[in-house]
Amino acid sequence: MAKTFKGRVILSGKHSGEALVSKLPFNLTGSYFENMFAGNTETAPCTDANNKALFGKDMKGAIMCTSQCVGSTMGAGALMGVSELGVGLKAFLFSNHIDSISAGGLIIDDIWYGRRVITIDLLGDEFLEAVNTGDPISIEEDGTVTVG
Amino acid sequence: MDNHEENEHENESKMDRRDFAKTLSLSALLPAGLAGGAAATAAAPLTVNAQAARAAVGAAAGRGEVPEFAGNLLDSDMQGLGPDGKPTGQKATFTGASRANIEAEAASQHEMKVSDEEKAIMEGSKGEEMAKLMKILVKFGNTFGAEKLVDLGGAPHSNLYPGAPYLGSLIKMLDECAKAGLKSYAPYTVNPRPYDCWNVQNNPAEMKIVYEGYPLQKELDWVHTRLGAPELTKRSCACYVKEVGNHPDPGTYVAWAESSAVNYGNSVLGIRTNRTGAGMDLISALTGKAPFFGLMTDEGRQAKWLIDVKTSKTPDWGVLGTAVGRKVVEDVPLYTGIAQYFEGGEVTEDNLHLLKAMGSASAASGSVGLYHVEDLTPEGKEKGRDLLAEGYQTYVYDDAEEQKIIATFDNLWPEKDGDPTGAFIGCPHNTFFEMKRWGKMVTEALEKAGKEEAAIPVYMFCADVVRVRLLEEEGELAGKMRTAGMVATPMCGVTWAGTKGFSDRVRGVTNSAKTRNYSTIRYFPDQTLIDIIVSGKMPG
Repeated sequence: MAKTFKGRVILSGKHSGEALVSKLPFNLTGSYFENMFAGNTETAPCTDANNKALFGKDMKGAIMCTSQCVGSTMGAGALMGVSELGVGLKAFLFSNHIDSISAGGLIIDDIWYGRRVITIDLLGDEFLEAVNTGDPISIEEDGTVTVG
Repeated sequence: MDNHEENEHENESKMDRRDFAKTLSLSALLPAGLAGGAAATAAAPLTVNAQAARAAVGAAAGRGEVPEFAGNLLDSDMQGLGPDGKPTGQKATFTGASRANIEAEAASQHEMKVSDEEKAIMEGSKGEEMAKLMKILVKFGNTFGAEKLVDLGGAPHSNLYPGAPYLGSLIKMLDECAKAGLKSYAPYTVNPRPYDCWNVQNNPAEMKIVYEGYPLQKELDWVHTRLGAPELTKRSCACYVKEVGNHPDPGTYVAWAESSAVNYGNSVLGIRTNRTGAGMDLISALTGKAPFFGLMTDEGRQAKWLIDVKTSKTPDWGVLGTAVGRKVVEDVPLYTGIAQYFEGGEVTEDNLHLLKAMGSASAASGSVGLYHVEDLTPEGKEKGRDLLAEGYQTYVYDDAEEQKIIATFDNLWPEKDGDPTGAFIGCPHNTFFEMKRWGKMVTEALEKAGKEEAAIPVYMFCADVVRVRLLEEEGELAGKMRTAGMVATPMCGVTWAGTKGFSDRVRGVTNSAKTRNYSTIRYFPDQTLIDIIVSGKMPG
């Protein structure tokens, strides 16, 4: 049965696809080593070995669902880097308040380079409990997210 | 900061822009992968640096192998995992001011006040680049509930220090700003560079790692030079020490980045800054404005924790900071019981390193951007326990708690029983007093043991201007330190400690709880470190 959640729109957009879920906080810099240091421009396999559920999964064009981001304070640069490589996320959905590092990277990339990752936060703990990798998910311009 | 002459700076930059245009195409600023991917647009020949950047990642496009140096790079400041490797469940925003309880509807309705001048800038009155920067600031401020933008004073401090490929897109943006003639509102300071091939990585194996790992270092240094930070001799995370000179007056609004500098600046200097991330720091520097929220506000500076220090003797400052960071995550703590360890109840050049060690540890194990100390720090003196927010919690730190925290400091060396191979002293960077103190402690201990040279190299991390002061004022001691194998270096110690290829080779020991938090280097009290340095053996 489909469940609907309403979050805050940071960068709006309409999109639907399959969810990719990290129940652990998503490590911005640790997850993109193969893109950032090995020049992978085809896929974006998660390289964060601490994140067992996500490790090795292709994140290119994904709808990433997580609580928040962690990692280096250089993380904004990492998000902009994968975006420029063409292997960034399509949407970033946060159950918590967005962190300052990913917010910086996503907003700079959107305004400076015109590269948008749909971003919604404050979807609530229930959202992250309800969503699982592979679930169909749809995102509306007003921040409504439907899982299932 | 006072030796920056604005006109001279202006002229240098004009000349530099011309020279820069002759030698560097835009593509040189792209990481190698970018050059071959969707962003590959430049037809101009690549410079040596761009070719090096491509070589660094092994291939221009497609899939490649993660080079060894990248396997253990730092994930600083925002771990999200506790010492047991399990999620902490934190809901930190990493601005240093929690918004964990805000709800989507209320957050969605927030819109900050924007002045007519700021609106005009967003519409292009100061050019296309400045318009975008202002829009970014406003959007970012609205995201974090900022009331308005405030004018910044003092001088900025940036943590954008490594010329790593993944930062190419950010560096390219800043290069575009420099080319448009934008500059920081004041000359600024920057974190230390990530390597030092003169004093530390002066061998082919490590130079290979450095030059492959940081192919954009020259481009980044050059961007900083043009935007307002030309002095490599003042590169330091401890930008606030007298010799580097970035210590704005209490109450000054700034937008600093670098967790330890933000922590020290807010707490000990009394400046007002959030924990700004790389990129946003320089956008604030170029616009001269920052969103007003969190630790810049009186409300955001209220303490949600009282830290009652009841140790029977001087606490281990790094362990205390580690404990507090883990406990409060990003909330503001008020310490009581530690002012007694500061002579006359004053922070001076001779004791500021104690707060530097404690604060940086709490910024690394948690994301503490501000603390107060009753009867010691500016607001702690002025307001005391009036700083405590309603419903604050109390954490008692005593001898038993200290031992409990130390017990979580696992031995992470690859060969757990091996002999130590190097000592890492000074993260954040050493003060002048610390350089003298460690110099005397090590050389006197060696003399007592009948030795001239330490059993392991001792790396003393400090700003170059601090090293020069040591040479000028303590020449004899500096000579003895050099003979003893103590190496003064202006690089970032924690970057070195955390990079595979260096850290695997080095079974390091350190006096820095911050370094311990981010690497396999082991943490010990000062006297134990001296014994290790002299003997080359681990204690019992």
